[in-house]
Amino acid sequence: MIDFVLSKKQQELKEGVNGLGRFVIRPMSLEMDRNHEVPEAFLRNFMKLASGFRSSDVAEAFGEGTPPDKRDPSKPNETNRTAAIGAEELAWADAAMLLCMPGPGLGGPPVRGTGTPEQKKRFFGMFQDMEKGPLQWGAYGLTEPNAGSDVAGIRSSCRKDGKDWIINGRKCFITNGARACWTVIFATIDPSLGRAGHRAFVVEKGTPGFFVGKIEEKIGLRANETAELVLEDCRVPGENLLGGEAAYEKKEGGFMTAMKTFDNTRPLVAAMACGIGRAAYEYARDFVKDNYVLSRPIPRYAALAERLARINRRLEAARSLYYRATYLADMNIPNAKEASMSKAAAGQAAIAACIDAIEICGAHGSLSSEHALLEKWFRDIKVYDIFEGTGNIQRIVISKRILTDLKAF
Amino acid sequence: MIAFEPTEDQALMQGSVAQFARGTLAPRVREFERLRAVPEDIRKLAHEMGIGLVAVPESCGGAGLGLATSVLIEEELGAADAAAAFGLAGPHAFAAAIVELGSEEQARAELAAFGEPDAHGRFGAVAWSEPKPNKERAGFVTTAAREGAGWKLTGKKAFVVNAALADRFVVFAQVDADKGWGGIGAFVVARDNPGLKIGARHDTLGLDAAYFGEIELTGALVPDEARLTAPKDGGDIVRATLRFFAKHALVVAARAVGVARFAFDIAREHCDTRKAFGKPIGHFQAVAFTLADRLMDVESSRWLVWRAAHAWDAGLKEKEALRATAQAVAQALESCMRCTDDCVGLHGGSGFIRDLVAEKLMRDAKQLALCCPTAEQMDQLATALEIGAPLDPALVLPTPDAQAIFT
Repeated sequence: MIDFVLSKKQQELKEGVNGLGRFVIRPMSLEMDRNHEVPEAFLRNFMKLASGFRSSDVAEAFGEGTPPDKRDPSKPNETNRTAAIGAEELAWADAAMLLCMPGPGLGGPPVRGTGTPEQKKRFFGMFQDMEKGPLQWGAYGLTEPNAGSDVAGIRSSCRKDGKDWIINGRKCFITNGARACWTVIFATIDPSLGRAGHRAFVVEKGTPGFFVGKIEEKIGLRANETAELVLEDCRVPGENLLGGEAAYEKKEGGFMTAMKTFDNTRPLVAAMACGIGRAAYEYARDFVKDNYVLSRPIPRYAALAERLARINRRLEAARSLYYRATYLADMNIPNAKEASMSKAAAGQAAIAACIDAIEICGAHGSLSSEHALLEKWFRDIKVYDIFEGTGNIQRIVISKRILTDLKAF
Repeated sequence: MIAFEPTEDQALMQGSVAQFARGTLAPRVREFERLRAVPEDIRKLAHEMGIGLVAVPESCGGAGLGLATSVLIEEELGAADAAAAFGLAGPHAFAAAIVELGSEEQARAELAAFGEPDAHGRFGAVAWSEPKPNKERAGFVTTAAREGAGWKLTGKKAFVVNAALADRFVVFAQVDADKGWGGIGAFVVARDNPGLKIGARHDTLGLDAAYFGEIELTGALVPDEARLTAPKDGGDIVRATLRFFAKHALVVAARAVGVARFAFDIAREHCDTRKAFGKPIGHFQAVAFTLADRLMDVESSRWLVWRAAHAWDAGLKEKEALRATAQAVAQALESCMRCTDDCVGLHGGSGFIRDLVAEKLMRDAKQLALCCPTAEQMDQLATALEIGAPLDPALVLPTPDAQAIFT
């Protein structure tokens, strides 16, 4: 049937995260932003709390949704929808904190999708003792100073040396890159081969020749670490080649196919953008409610009312697109176009929401204080139209699926 | 649980209407436009499919299939010819008005005739707008005064859809001059009432096949039972009127989604086949990205319309259903305008010529946006609900002194 009401579980998850966000996370949001860090004690508490939600189909709510090969068409589930709803709510509380959550992070999907059973056991195993041992993160190292959206342009090189591989290159803008216990590093055996020449390695922290470069100063999401990683004659054992040699020989079902699962995370990023946009919208709405006298005509009032409504419905439109994309994923229906549409629409709608919200509040909107996070959301949101594929990259993905024989521009 | 899966029955109905729209309506849109009407053979076919009473509750003599079914089929009609959607027989806005503002008995009595086998020429209409705003006070110029046991209606109404075709009207008039918009009333007036005169037909920008015109009430006498006075759950007339407009607007919004989809489809087709500088124009990013943006418009407004229809059907809180409706309608009307505008633009000069349907879609889109509460009025409604402000009828209803609409 046609239905837009959240299931009971989703509603509980949403309300639970919302309460935590309002009373615990938001009051510390600005401090985390200034200190460039989420306190470890908080992360530990949050993980305990989150494990309460981690029952059956909510298990992936803080992960990246169900990978396509794990989906069973005969048993449609709501994992992807639930994950997105949880992500929106957590981003509504604090988007940077969401990215700081311990776990494999963006490194998870490639290891899960391509890793051999031994690799999965070994690399995911590192996250099993976090309750007692230190917190651990994984990371994903693809972007280079000269290759962002154009992934085929990466120049980090790898060559075989006996049983090992030698990697050279620089990776930039790596989320949790400095703290990660391992990072999935992409390199090429021969740049002229394009994507077919790519190899992915799980490079562990402390490997000789693997250094952390500079930690970036960013406009927003400042509580989250973004690092440069440097590989200088870095020797990586053969068993760290993701999927083993065989994965790169297959044309179908191998490494390239697995990489497509990355489309999965786009609706999640869309959901996060909606969360930040909604936070800004609600702030402006309440500001108008508290500060404007509704009983007498205020010259700008009607215009403000329409502007508020426009912000909100654009966010709602973007939300409907990520609902749609995650619904298709749960139904095991290809959703690359819909995933990209949700991401492109949400990024723009949320940026507009944050800009408009500041304007509506006037000077108040730009002040930074514990109770006024508008200026922070304004700084946080921009990257949601950049990472996981910029708005233009999403439009390329969409274009290829609506126009005939469009291979590339 | 969030789901985008029409039921089997809905899909069947949607499929047969889609077939009718594509196969029967679409090839003849220019003919309807020239005729400024939908011919009888077409109306007969549509009437046999039972399109007119889909969303009317069973208790009021309708099919009781809900708004979700209604928006599914209205999108299909809109994707062929939004003008024809207004020109097919049926009660149209009259049904929503009488269901929301009248009692069950009134609705049953007034709507029964539309289900009869030979009713393919029967129309209902709503007379809401007036040629000029009332400059003296808030409320309508048209008045309803007590006359014995009944009422006497006097005044001019404008922008009435199917004015000359309807055999019965819901006429809005001022009952209590001192109460502003809170003092309005709604009355059922039959076409054969001696005090009802059909006025001039409007020449409009778009939706040529649909009839828009004026009516005049020259002291039309109606019995007391003709007054619609039973908004359910004791709500006031403003609230009930708002509900009527919301449900009616969703139907118009669904047609707008159809128009937007049609515009997107032909624009996409054109960009696929039209070559310039040695390749299809769709292979240029500026063109392809425009198409991508318009597809987001089409799909997101469709989902918002579905969501609002579901909110009413599922009996969610009225406030939630109203807000979802306001968002859906504003988004759909604006998206439709963008899609049809870009459709003309992407066609270049040929988009401006009447040989192609693109120019018609653009005119229809603008006209559609005035056939229910406008995006601006819907935005006012959404924000008033969000901040808990009183629903000022001058802002949230399409009053003639703010922004007049076709009903």
